[in-house]
Amino acid sequence: MSKPKTGVRRRDVLKSASAVAGVAAASAVTGFPFVAKGQGKVIRVGMPTILSGRVAILGESSRAAAQLAVQEFNAAGGINGRKMELIARDSKGSPNEAARVTRDLINSDGCEIIIDAEASSGSFAVQEVIRSLPVLCIHTCSETSALSADPAIRVPTAFRSARQGIHDAVGGGRFAAELVKKRNLKRWMTCSPDYAYGRDNTAEFMEYLKIFEPSVEVVDQAWPKLFEPDYTAFVTRILQVKPQAMYSALWGGDLVSFIEQANLYGMFAGDLAFFSGGLADPPVLKAIRQLPDGLNSVYRYDPQYPAHKGNADFYDNYRKIHPDPTNWSWQNYTAFTFVTKALKATNGNTDGKALADVIRGMEIDSPFSPTGKITMRAEDQTIIGYPVAWGKTVSKSKGMTDWVAVDWGEIQEHEKEWKRRKGYV
Amino acid sequence: MGTTTFRRDLVIAVIALVVLLGIPLVFPSAALRDFIIYVVAYGLLAISLNLLTGYTGLVSFGHALYFAAGAYAFGLLMQSGKVSTLSAFALSILFSAFLALVVGAICVRLKEIYFAFLTLAFQMLFYSVILTWVSLTGGDQGLMGGIPRPPLFGIDLGDPHVFYVFSCVLFVVCVFLLRQITESPFGYTLRMIRDNQERAVFLGVNVFRAKLLAFVLAGSIASVGGIVLALFASGAYPGYAFWTTSGEAIFMIMLGGSQVFIGPIVGAVLLQLLNHIVTIYTEHNGLFLGIIILVAVLGLRRGIADFIYEAWAGRRAARAPAVTAKAQGTEAAAGNKEAAYDPLS
Amino acid sequence: MTQVSSGLLMGMLLFLVASGLSLIFGVLGIVNFAHGSFYMLGAYFAYAGYMATESFLVALAAGTLGMALFGAVFERLFISRIYGRDVLMQLLLCYAFVLILDDIVKIVWGANYLLMRIPPAFALPPLFVGGGAIPVYYAFLIGVSAAVGLLLWFAITKTRFGKTVRAAAINPQMVSALGVNTKLLYTSVFAIGSLLAGAAGALAAPVRSLTPGMGLSILIESFIVTVIGGMGSIVGALVASILIGLTRAFGSIGFPLFVDGLMFTIMALVLILKPSGLFGRQV
Repeated sequence: MSKPKTGVRRRDVLKSASAVAGVAAASAVTGFPFVAKGQGKVIRVGMPTILSGRVAILGESSRAAAQLAVQEFNAAGGINGRKMELIARDSKGSPNEAARVTRDLINSDGCEIIIDAEASSGSFAVQEVIRSLPVLCIHTCSETSALSADPAIRVPTAFRSARQGIHDAVGGGRFAAELVKKRNLKRWMTCSPDYAYGRDNTAEFMEYLKIFEPSVEVVDQAWPKLFEPDYTAFVTRILQVKPQAMYSALWGGDLVSFIEQANLYGMFAGDLAFFSGGLADPPVLKAIRQLPDGLNSVYRYDPQYPAHKGNADFYDNYRKIHPDPTNWSWQNYTAFTFVTKALKATNGNTDGKALADVIRGMEIDSPFSPTGKITMRAEDQTIIGYPVAWGKTVSKSKGMTDWVAVDWGEIQEHEKEWKRRKGYV
Repeated sequence: MGTTTFRRDLVIAVIALVVLLGIPLVFPSAALRDFIIYVVAYGLLAISLNLLTGYTGLVSFGHALYFAAGAYAFGLLMQSGKVSTLSAFALSILFSAFLALVVGAICVRLKEIYFAFLTLAFQMLFYSVILTWVSLTGGDQGLMGGIPRPPLFGIDLGDPHVFYVFSCVLFVVCVFLLRQITESPFGYTLRMIRDNQERAVFLGVNVFRAKLLAFVLAGSIASVGGIVLALFASGAYPGYAFWTTSGEAIFMIMLGGSQVFIGPIVGAVLLQLLNHIVTIYTEHNGLFLGIIILVAVLGLRRGIADFIYEAWAGRRAARAPAVTAKAQGTEAAAGNKEAAYDPLS
Repeated sequence: MTQVSSGLLMGMLLFLVASGLSLIFGVLGIVNFAHGSFYMLGAYFAYAGYMATESFLVALAAGTLGMALFGAVFERLFISRIYGRDVLMQLLLCYAFVLILDDIVKIVWGANYLLMRIPPAFALPPLFVGGGAIPVYYAFLIGVSAAVGLLLWFAITKTRFGKTVRAAAINPQMVSALGVNTKLLYTSVFAIGSLLAGAAGALAAPVRSLTPGMGLSILIESFIVTVIGGMGSIVGALVASILIGLTRAFGSIGFPLFVDGLMFTIMALVLILKPSGLFGRQV
């Protein structure tokens, strides 16, 4: 079938030449792609994130929030006449690419601030880049506690504007313990994705549940892999074990599949108490065709909670540029609130250390906090005061209701104890 | 003949090193330095793989295993704090070579597509082990907390300029070594195995041993690429061992060319450049990269370096039988449909 | 029993995808790396069909026939240009489409998680068989996949078309010399393979959330199945799919951490002991 070749045809040479020329032309358009643009009039903010593959929604909803924030910053006149420009780049969900993209944003695009909208593994890679190129960096999606809690990993100019695993664990344990007492839910089971976040999140939730309610017993744990398309084997196992309550750290599309497949077996029809670490994101709630009533979920995002006008405005403005906001949206928006306030405090100085010095311990007014305030705690450079709350699903409106916020004083007390145990202090 | 090629290669290697080291002096850009370091790491992966695909006719689909093995072994040894940089370096290469020896001993007996699948299976097995063995590897989050870089013979690898020089020297040394392998009698034995295994057997070549040696050498050089990347990114990630990394290496070879020695490096430069540019201008990476691959496959039909070489050679001796024979040899090695893929035979 | 049924369910969907992959390889000698993306497209086509008409039947037709058409066009435009070419070139071409199709799906349908509604006709309480519960939709799904498999087996072993296909797999020149239009034959085989992937996608669309990139995991599993069962063997694909499905169903209970590793171990063992696969000699 293969034709023997006789030499090289001219047409082929031309084709290859034009391909080479194409690449050359592409680099010519950029000037030379590796020449740093340096400090210009515009403040460049770089955002490494995930814009392709199964979790592209993380990047898209992060970027939309950032775009909204940048629009507002510029509409307010910028700082000392300098406007802001957002450069979001796709890391394809690979930590290796996240590191490369971040280095490039700083070295070649002249970004003076990095908003890291990577998932956990990517943000650890970004953290290492920031260690060697110390610009201001705010992680906006990683919930892994170690990123900010472990002093060995901490970097002076890197912060976190995102919920944190340990806070939600304390809050979840506290909230669930109340229900355990009320409804006598002793037999627990877990079903969470088998990767670092899923395992840590689940272990911490159960740990605090037992601290608040020692009578609880974990009868079984199931670990579907991340991005598992079919949960049938796990659903049937849950039906066999018949727990009274269960916790799941599943999120996103995986959670949608899980609930829909569980519905086929009528898993939520009985009185199983379900606690989710990821259900209350509007796109998840909307994707589920038959959303059962009364499933418990930790707060992710809800336009009606906290019931501030600012929150409703954010929702409306956001919807003008993108579909429903996610948990990542408010976290990114909040990061920009910190950046804006910090730039005012430094009078437009974008030096990493200068910005970090003012952000450390900074308190901002935020529509996303039940108290109206979110603080960047100085000791470990991560936010507190955001909603650590639990609510219930409402089938009809595909939304959440009955939010119960857990007291931040109590959370911090337990967190302190946890850090001591981990050897972080 | 042998000594003159050796001398010529040595001169080229020295010139290449001087050029590489001169680049940051002419263009003092950190981003360009970064770019070249990535080319070094992935270039070593691709050019070592080509010892198998291009020279021996063994299409390995699991070459990233050794790349990842080098990165993880080195990262873990350095994080343990018990060994010097130099011994960590040597041990990591040895470890990867050992893995290649075991996997190769099982795989190289198989033919064509089955060889490709078996190497793929071992790579994915390695990937699963990395994901599962969380206490050692950090699972999906990779080796966290950075890889320490204590001074090596008094040079500070933490300094980006020094690290650049270090990577370039390593790169040129590895490529030079590989060049000596491909131009040695052993290298010609490999070509003979690729073009006509029966003849090689007939001439008394121990085909199994030759293939295995090539497999181990390629794996060892790939691990050096992994070590460079681990040092640079200050971490190691399971993605290094995923099949897409092997796929990228193959793509680099196809893009650059498998018949010209430095073809895979040309491919590494092109793919890194493409990735760089495409990521900057669009979020639809896949769409653009896919279309470029499509053009390369359907339009060019072979790597750019091969292309330029053949065009050049073709002009020099318009109908030189050697070139045609070589081109035909390539196609024969690739196999035609009936011979290679008939599942029913 | 319940685990057996869930193993069967996963196995049968996998079988649809893997048998298409295997068929295309067996007859055309093409390792269709884009097959997982065809599964994804099938699911999205079904979703689009359902959103437009609210009819499950239309959705199924959109997923299966849509993909058959897509496959035919795809074969004519691209695959037909690389017959007999270097296996690497074939893989690269298909890989290019993995990238392209993922992005196109994202551009057309967005990155949000989508789900097609379970047809109301199946919104019944689960069936109880042998002490285990099986949702009606899953019973339907297993039944349809089994029927498709049976039909495929029948078509290939018993019909004239099947005989030509098998002959073409062994000696295409001979078949061509006998006056068979091999071009048309290749196109139709590729279309059937695509249809099978599309059918799996369409059947899965009501219960598995749709996202760009969803084809990747099933692609890898299909490869494992094809290798274990024997490249080109439909019976092999069936046996290996059920084997993998059951391994997943029971593995997720017994040793959840290493299910993937175990599947690759089985694959490696088969390749070492019998490279042509368990059923490597039949089509």
